Amino acid sequence: MKKQHKEVVFGLYNDEEILLKAVKEAHHQHLDIMDVYTPFPVHGLDKAMHLEESRLHIAGFVFGALGTLTAFLGMTWIFTRDWPIIFGGKPYWSVPSFIPITFELTVLFAAIGMVVSFYTVCGLGPGVTNPVLDDRITDDKFCIAFDADHCAPEEIQRLRDFLTRTGAEEIHAKSL
Amino acid sequence: MAMHTGDLTFTMTKRERSVLFGFMGLGVLCMVITFLGDDALHSRFWSNYLMNAVFFTGISFVALFVLAAFTTAYAGWHTVVKRLWESYSLFLLAGLALLLVVIAGLWGHLHHLYHWSDTEAVKADPVLSGKAGFLNKYWYTFGTLLIVGIWYFLFARPMRKLSISEDNNGDASFRQYRTYKKYAAIFLPVGGFTSAALIWQWVMSVDSHWYSTLFAWYTTASWFVAFMALTILMIIYLHARGVMLFVTTEHLHDLGKYLFAFSIFWTYLWFSQYMLIWYGNVGEETVYFHTRINEYPVLFYGNLVINFLLPFFVLMRNDTKRKVGTLFFVSLAVLLGRFLDFFQMIKPGVLHTTHEVLAHHGTEGGAAEAAHHHSDFAAGFTIPGLLEWGTFLGFLAFFIWFVFTRLEKAPLLPKNDPFLAESLHHHVQ
Repeated sequence: MKKQHKEVVFGLYNDEEILLKAVKEAHHQHLDIMDVYTPFPVHGLDKAMHLEESRLHIAGFVFGALGTLTAFLGMTWIFTRDWPIIFGGKPYWSVPSFIPITFELTVLFAAIGMVVSFYTVCGLGPGVTNPVLDDRITDDKFCIAFDADHCAPEEIQRLRDFLTRTGAEEIHAKSL
Repeated sequence: MAMHTGDLTFTMTKRERSVLFGFMGLGVLCMVITFLGDDALHSRFWSNYLMNAVFFTGISFVALFVLAAFTTAYAGWHTVVKRLWESYSLFLLAGLALLLVVIAGLWGHLHHLYHWSDTEAVKADPVLSGKAGFLNKYWYTFGTLLIVGIWYFLFARPMRKLSISEDNNGDASFRQYRTYKKYAAIFLPVGGFTSAALIWQWVMSVDSHWYSTLFAWYTTASWFVAFMALTILMIIYLHARGVMLFVTTEHLHDLGKYLFAFSIFWTYLWFSQYMLIWYGNVGEETVYFHTRINEYPVLFYGNLVINFLLPFFVLMRNDTKRKVGTLFFVSLAVLLGRFLDFFQMIKPGVLHTTHEVLAHHGTEGGAAEAAHHHSDFAAGFTIPGLLEWGTFLGFLAFFIWFVFTRLEKAPLLPKNDPFLAESLHHHVQ
């Protein structure tokens, strides 16, 4: 990953209800939230942040369909062209016996494809370290972070005021 | 929390009553016409009757089973739908009455639905005489009365009573809920094992020579999907009526997921049964599929299209399960599809038995009928005719009427259920 420095202002909240209200308030005031970090999934957060629906399931479908085709066409080629064998007195092209493997490869392709897509989109993977704003957001703190790059001091102050007013327990700035 | 819940009680309108009775009348009319225009054994009439009786009794059994399973699993989201399912489960009593007619027909030799009921045929047939210990009218009668009786009198009715008592005198001790949970936990194994025995008798023994160890699961899965589809349709209708508005899109989404998942589960069982028989290639087993593929191809493949491909591809997406229009369309299609599934489970076997009996008993025309055997197209057997659909509508109207009368008797929202708040705030996304 390319190195870049980014100024971030973030507030830590103690409760997900307060956080949820703050997120809605931010949208109301047209403040652009960079991201929200929570130790567990918070119901209604996606909606409050106006995030668009994940497209991961489309990737899942495409990879799944790829698995179906790979398995089915692969077995068809093997058993009719490449290495035809009679087993159980069945025809070479025995569709019912292909179904279990086709099913398995569909699931396998969809699963692996979705994991890889997800990791790629999120910039995760082996050997990648991602900066953490505060260790406690994996434990009991809820965090709203603002991108404060190239922000005038008064703008940063406005973000800090917002965080204080909406009930943040702590406010920090960090350079990532 | 302020929320628009709609009316908390349900009263059947005059119009609903007359429409439902109109359809019941249509059903009876169709059955009379079928009876009069039938072959000497009235097999079309009787198989239609058996099919519908088993179909709706099964739906009410699954309702009870689902309530028991969800309660045992500490599920909370379904509480708002609970009263509807309780009403379904009470239909077991009506189902028992419906099946008593089949039993009466068995004792009075009024029908030949089951080849094993033919004493001469059993004597001459080593396979049938081998099974005679289980497949006989005594077991059929005793099993049906005892098992459906246990379901209704020992479980469905007491559980409903507890649920209503909770409404009236429930308190923070949740004593009714605790007792309800015990009933639920006991019903799971009881219902699970006994339903299989009934399915062998009611449905599988129509093909008396044939058997499949997976068949009970297969039929139960079919009932389950029909039950879910009917639940969704009923909720959409009640919403249009302005009641049960506390069942939200979130609950419908979950019900849609069940419809989706169990359509796949049914397909899995369908395929497992098919593939093992195909692979084993034993004549006694393959005859079941041989008949269906060669003589009922539309039914056989249509079954998979309407009950697997359609719900699978339509309900796969997140948003289709949250749109009333799509859900309604899929549920309706799948409900009719389940009917087709039962049709292809029961009709080919009955037609075969009819031909056998007619040929052996030498009734006039019987020999001729047996001569062209079952390769001919037989309306009402090869595909459902108008009379089949009319009969189905009649039974459906009876079921809905019965459910409505039970729905009238209790508030729609179980107000003292410990999981009510969880259910009202249910969110899936």
